[in-house]
Amino acid sequence: MRRHTRRVYNLCYRFTGNAASAEDLSQEVFLRVYRTIGSYEPNYGSFATWLTSVTRNLLVDHYRRTRCDRLTDSIDDAPQAAEVHSADRTPHQKAEAMELSAQVQAGLAKLSPELREAVILRDLQGMEYAEIRKVLQVPEGTVKSRINRGRIELARILQEMGVRAD
Amino acid sequence: MNWNCALTEERLSDYLEGALAPAEREACAVHAAECAGCAEILSRVGELVGQMHALEPLLEPAFLSRRITRGTLGARAERHELAGIGGWLNLIWQPRFAMGIAMVAATFVILAHTAGLRLSSLKPSGLNPFNVAREANRQAHLTYARGEKFVNDLRVVYEIRAVLAAPPPAPSGQQNQAAPAPSGAPPSAPDTQERSSRELQRDAITRKATNNLHWAMLDPAFDKFALLPANRRPL
Ligand SMILES: [Zn+2]
Repeated sequence: MRRHTRRVYNLCYRFTGNAASAEDLSQEVFLRVYRTIGSYEPNYGSFATWLTSVTRNLLVDHYRRTRCDRLTDSIDDAPQAAEVHSADRTPHQKAEAMELSAQVQAGLAKLSPELREAVILRDLQGMEYAEIRKVLQVPEGTVKSRINRGRIELARILQEMGVRAD
Repeated sequence: MNWNCALTEERLSDYLEGALAPAEREACAVHAAECAGCAEILSRVGELVGQMHALEPLLEPAFLSRRITRGTLGARAERHELAGIGGWLNLIWQPRFAMGIAMVAATFVILAHTAGLRLSSLKPSGLNPFNVAREANRQAHLTYARGEKFVNDLRVVYEIRAVLAAPPPAPSGQQNQAAPAPSGAPPSAPDTQERSSRELQRDAITRKATNNLHWAMLDPAFDKFALLPANRRPL
C-alpha cells in the first residue's frame, strides 16, 4: 500500500506544487478508492492505472476550486527525494538532483494544467501512452501531442528561468 | 525526404523515444546538422526528459500513511495493517479466499501454457537448443512478471475489500449485557441473523470479484497483457 501512497502523493505534489494540498488530496484519493473499490474492474487495466484515474479526477476538481489561489511551496518546504536508486550518490550529486527537482517543479507550475498532467504522468510517473490515454480519456494521438508540447514548453520555461543546459 | 523546423517540433518526442522510421530519423539528423535552432531544441528537450526520468520520487511525510488509514477505515484497519503479511496469510487460509486463490492459480496454469513455447512460431534457427532454452527462459520470465504484477494488484484489491467487509468492532460492553429481548424470541437470534447476513454479503463480494477476474481472464478477448507495461509485453 505504501508504494501506492507514494505514487499518489507524488502526482498530487507535482501537480499542485504544495505539500499540504498534496497530503489532503492523497487522503481524499484513498477515501474515494475505498468507497468505490467495488467498481474496479480488472479489465480496465492495472490497479495502479485505476488509482491514477481516481487521483487525476480529484486533481481536476481541486484545480477548478483553487485556480485563483496561487500557492506554491518555496524550495525549502519541498519534500525530500526518496533515494530509491541513488543511495550511493555523493552529497554534491544529491544537492544537484534536489535543485533540479525544484526547478522542474517551478517550471511545471507555469505549464497549462493540460500539458502539466501529461508530462507528469509520462516523465515523472513513467506511465505508458496507453495507460495515460485511459487516465485522461482522450485519444492516444492527443496524449502524445500533449506530452510533446508539454516537454518543449517546459524546456523553454526552464531556459527562460535561466536554468543552463550542461 | 524533406524535413523542416515545424516537423522537428512535431516529432520531437518520437525522435527521442526512437519511434521515427529510419528515413525520418535520417532526414531529421541531416536537417539538425544544418539548423542550429533545431539542434538546440533536440538537445535541450532530450536532456530535460533524461533528467526527469532520473528524478527520484518524493518522500511522502511519515504520518501520511497512518493518517490515510485512520481517515479511511478507522481502528479496525489499523489492526489489520499491523497484522501485515500475517493478516494477508490469515485471509487466504479462510475457505472463501482459498477457493478464490485456487481458481486464480488454475488460471495461471492456463496462462503459463498459452504463454509457453509457441511451436508454430519457431523458426529453423529457433531449433538450436540454445535458442530454445533462451526462449523458454524468456517466456518463463514474462509469465512470472505478469503473475507477480497481477497478484500484487489482486492483493491490494482483496486487502481493501476484506477490511471493508470485516464486521466493525462491537461497541464495548454491549455483547456481555445485551438487553433482554422484548418479545419471546431467543435472545441470540437477532445477532446471529445479522452476522450471517453480513457474512453472506461478504462472501458474495468475494465470489463476485473472483468470478469476474477468473472469467475475464479466460475470455479470449481479454487482453491478459494489459496488466504489464508495454515494454514488457510479449510481441
Ligand atoms: Zn530547423
